[in-house]
Amino acid sequence: MASIADGKAGEVKLLMGNEALARGALEAGLAVAAGYPGTPSSEIIETLAKAASTSNLYVEWSVNEKVALEVAAAASFAGLRSLCVMKQNGVNVASDFLLHLAGSGTRGGMVLMPCDDPGALSSVNEGEARHFARLVEIPLLEPATFQQAKDVTRWAFELSETLRTIVMVRSATRLSHASGTVTMGEIPSNSSKAKFIHDGFVLDPMEGPVMSPPVAYKHSQQQDKIEKAAAIFEDSPFNTYEGPENPSLMLIASSVAGLYAREAIHLLGVADSVGLLCLATTWPLPPKFMQKYLSKTDRFLVVEEVLPFLEENIKVLAQELTQTIGPKTFFGKRDKTLPGVGELNPDLVAGALSKILGKPYVPVSQEYSGKARQTAFLGAPSRDLTFCPGCPHRASFWNIHTVLSTDNRQGFVCGDIGCYSMAVLPSGFSTLKTLHAMGSGTGVASGFGKLGQFGMDQPVVSVCGDSTFFHAAMPALANAIHHGSDITMVILDNSGTGMTGFQPHPGLPVDALGQQAPALDIEKICKAMGATVAVCDPFDLAHTQETLHKLLEEGKGVKVLITRRICALSPERKGKKQFDMKVDASVCLGENCGCNRLCTRIFRCPGLVWDAAAKTAKIDEVICAGCGVCADICPSGAISKTPV
Amino acid sequence: MRLAGPNQLLESVFARDLCIGCGACVDLCPYFKTYSGRTAQVFPCTRETGRCFAFCPKVEVDYQELSQAFFNEPYRGAPLGHYLRIVKVEAGPNLPKGNYQNSGAVTALAVTALETGMISAAVVTDRKGLMPVPKVVNKKEDIIACAASKYTAAPTLAAANRAAADGAKNLGLIGTPCQITAAAMSRLNPTEKEGFSDPYNVLIGLFCTWAVDARKLAALIAAHTKGKDICKMDMPPPPSAMLVLSLDDCNINVGLDLVRPIVPKGCSVCPDMTSEYADISVGVVEGLPLANTVIVRTPRGQELLDRAVERGYLVAGKVAAENLAHLSLAANNKKKRALAAVQALGDNIDPEAAGRAVFRIRAEALERIMAGV
Repeated sequence: MASIADGKAGEVKLLMGNEALARGALEAGLAVAAGYPGTPSSEIIETLAKAASTSNLYVEWSVNEKVALEVAAAASFAGLRSLCVMKQNGVNVASDFLLHLAGSGTRGGMVLMPCDDPGALSSVNEGEARHFARLVEIPLLEPATFQQAKDVTRWAFELSETLRTIVMVRSATRLSHASGTVTMGEIPSNSSKAKFIHDGFVLDPMEGPVMSPPVAYKHSQQQDKIEKAAAIFEDSPFNTYEGPENPSLMLIASSVAGLYAREAIHLLGVADSVGLLCLATTWPLPPKFMQKYLSKTDRFLVVEEVLPFLEENIKVLAQELTQTIGPKTFFGKRDKTLPGVGELNPDLVAGALSKILGKPYVPVSQEYSGKARQTAFLGAPSRDLTFCPGCPHRASFWNIHTVLSTDNRQGFVCGDIGCYSMAVLPSGFSTLKTLHAMGSGTGVASGFGKLGQFGMDQPVVSVCGDSTFFHAAMPALANAIHHGSDITMVILDNSGTGMTGFQPHPGLPVDALGQQAPALDIEKICKAMGATVAVCDPFDLAHTQETLHKLLEEGKGVKVLITRRICALSPERKGKKQFDMKVDASVCLGENCGCNRLCTRIFRCPGLVWDAAAKTAKIDEVICAGCGVCADICPSGAISKTPV
Repeated sequence: MRLAGPNQLLESVFARDLCIGCGACVDLCPYFKTYSGRTAQVFPCTRETGRCFAFCPKVEVDYQELSQAFFNEPYRGAPLGHYLRIVKVEAGPNLPKGNYQNSGAVTALAVTALETGMISAAVVTDRKGLMPVPKVVNKKEDIIACAASKYTAAPTLAAANRAAADGAKNLGLIGTPCQITAAAMSRLNPTEKEGFSDPYNVLIGLFCTWAVDARKLAALIAAHTKGKDICKMDMPPPPSAMLVLSLDDCNINVGLDLVRPIVPKGCSVCPDMTSEYADISVGVVEGLPLANTVIVRTPRGQELLDRAVERGYLVAGKVAAENLAHLSLAANNKKKRALAAVQALGDNIDPEAAGRAVFRIRAEALERIMAGV
């Protein structure tokens, strides 16, 4: 598909969940979208950015999620419909503004679209955005299907304008990243005009100043909006029930868990006795609607991913309704019928159903599963999470690890979020010793660097990527410099937001729409902030190591080392080899004393392969990126590089 | 010699803080590196045997084996080890000028070895600031430039290992007892490495009671000199209890009570004061700051001394019996201290005992050491 804006009303298309969500926003007459890249959300902004060439849209990759929410809010304040997109923990970053925005209210329809990652497939946490909806008192919608993804999103903008508050539409990996058929709707011609009216009566939500005070008044308005939302949800077509009129057990599900629940009922063949209530309007719950369904049976299994958010909300409602509906039994996370961590799948739900119903469920025959397991164990090579062939991070961590080891003062590295998070693993020589949120490496290091007065004499190093530098590391760096913290910050500058697909950031001369944009110079910024700054090419191992040693020995204050080398997969580089690599098998020491497979056992670039029969290393020419670094680490000079 | 690998080296030497940073394990492979006076394993290695362990002078040094291999006699625990003769030397008329500690004997011997083709290059220890920097040099001037004691444990053997890997032959090594011991062990090719050839032709040993940790010394000196460069360090023999730092315009004395705490723990288990496995060993003579004691241990060492005297670099004379007695006593005391320290570590040094020990010494030799001079 050239553009998500293509496709007439009534046309059926195969869309990825994130495309369906983007299409829904376009069908709602979206004017402004902002976000920060993060799996599984990134394709939404990318899809909209592509559509911007043919539609009157402004789309940006903001410096971080909080700023993205602020940028999108401005459009709403000016009467436009706006969307803000991020991965689950982005909402944590945006939450301070989100709380205030929920208080101030919005004007043009505004949707916050977080994509959660249950099971942390592409994350280092399985935080959930849903709880923020209840915490800051805004409506929450959770589409379950691809069609719903589009339709719920479109409707969310109307709801936002009805209530004059931001609405959260929450997706999850298996909706965002799977594909299904969607019937298109109309995309309105976008002739929205932006104007911020600010000189009306101070309490006028549409014409006065936009702010959360007076708090008591605004807060009570906010709660009125939530009550109104509950009333609107009573008739929502997005909440569906399938099953017998009076089931022996009812499954209540949200998001993609609804699909798992439907499949589990089918797998157990219990559709005639078990009902399924799929809820898309999960906060606030519509009380009358819920009363109707809670009255149909006495036993419920709540099916949702990760924490018992829906389960607890239903239980509160059920308790309030006890006089009317009588006591009920709930199965779910609280009683451990379903796990409170990780993704769900049809098997897990079927297992839970089987337990409750006392009906045996064997997913596959034991013989088959035994064979499958054996085949998988014996047949599949073990594969680590690892840096790509030619990845500059591998060289950077090789350098950092070597320097900290030889420095020999038990120095360590504090890290955060990016491909470089993998440096906690053998791929990065297990160099990272703390790993938390965006920018936290430098923040945590800033704290470590002040512990000298308590006897700490270990060198403290932090790492952050170039995008992370702008996102959240700059305040940490400012803090470290201002407080004279003794740290060395290594900025792994691979010239793009590598992990999520090369989205631009303020350090690059291009924006989300592909237009020229002023690039901010990381080196100049760090110098202007007051740090000692050095820049190295991480592929130049000797120079980088020498420079880092010097910085570590300078002792006091903040030093910054920028290791600059473009990502091996970046569109500018992809497929271009700098060197042809060869291993001279007659020189390779292999497992002998003097090497012991340094390249394939420790350096572990996937482009290097251990030939167990010949007992030498060799190059996998298909995937070798020709970076040349392995030639410099080989102790016997068996690996040679020839410029291409 | 009992063989083991890098993990056992880490366990028996590094984890027990016995590494003195001699460089024996460094640059044989990509795993052990030296930096700024310290040795570290940079990446893990899984080999069950390795030269790193086999060459280390702080684990499984079998004195019987060394003595048999180099002197064709059992290890007897003699205070000064095996020797042919002991002489006192002073600078000869032709010795080039240099910043010598005493007579310039070490430089004279090394230069002689180079000039007469006994060695192709000398493995020496220079310093950069206060950090010891090992070098392989093949010019007389470069040897002279490295004269004078560094007092710091130094990774000298790292340079020898690199040179050996590049195919160097007939090297001359100037080293402390730990370095000479390690080099001696390496000459036996204990891991039976294919294609091995002995890179050394002459080992010139230094007397050493103990060395100091280079980084800690740098910090100590910096605290006394307030960052000014020093041109020479001297630790005159007893009764002086001072480290004397010579600056451009003055001398600064640092009490040995401040120096002793920065002696690496590894020195405490060393039973060798006079580099017993060298061809020739050089040390001070009490009360004669411009002379040296030279212990000639092998015919090659004798040949070297003779040539140095012939060339007018050195003048040889008799060692006073009293000096020799003092030297023997001091050397035997060092052995006793080392035995006590190794015992305190819980090592059983009997050659037949199980487990790992810093060194192995037979009961007969042990008795002689304990009986005293």
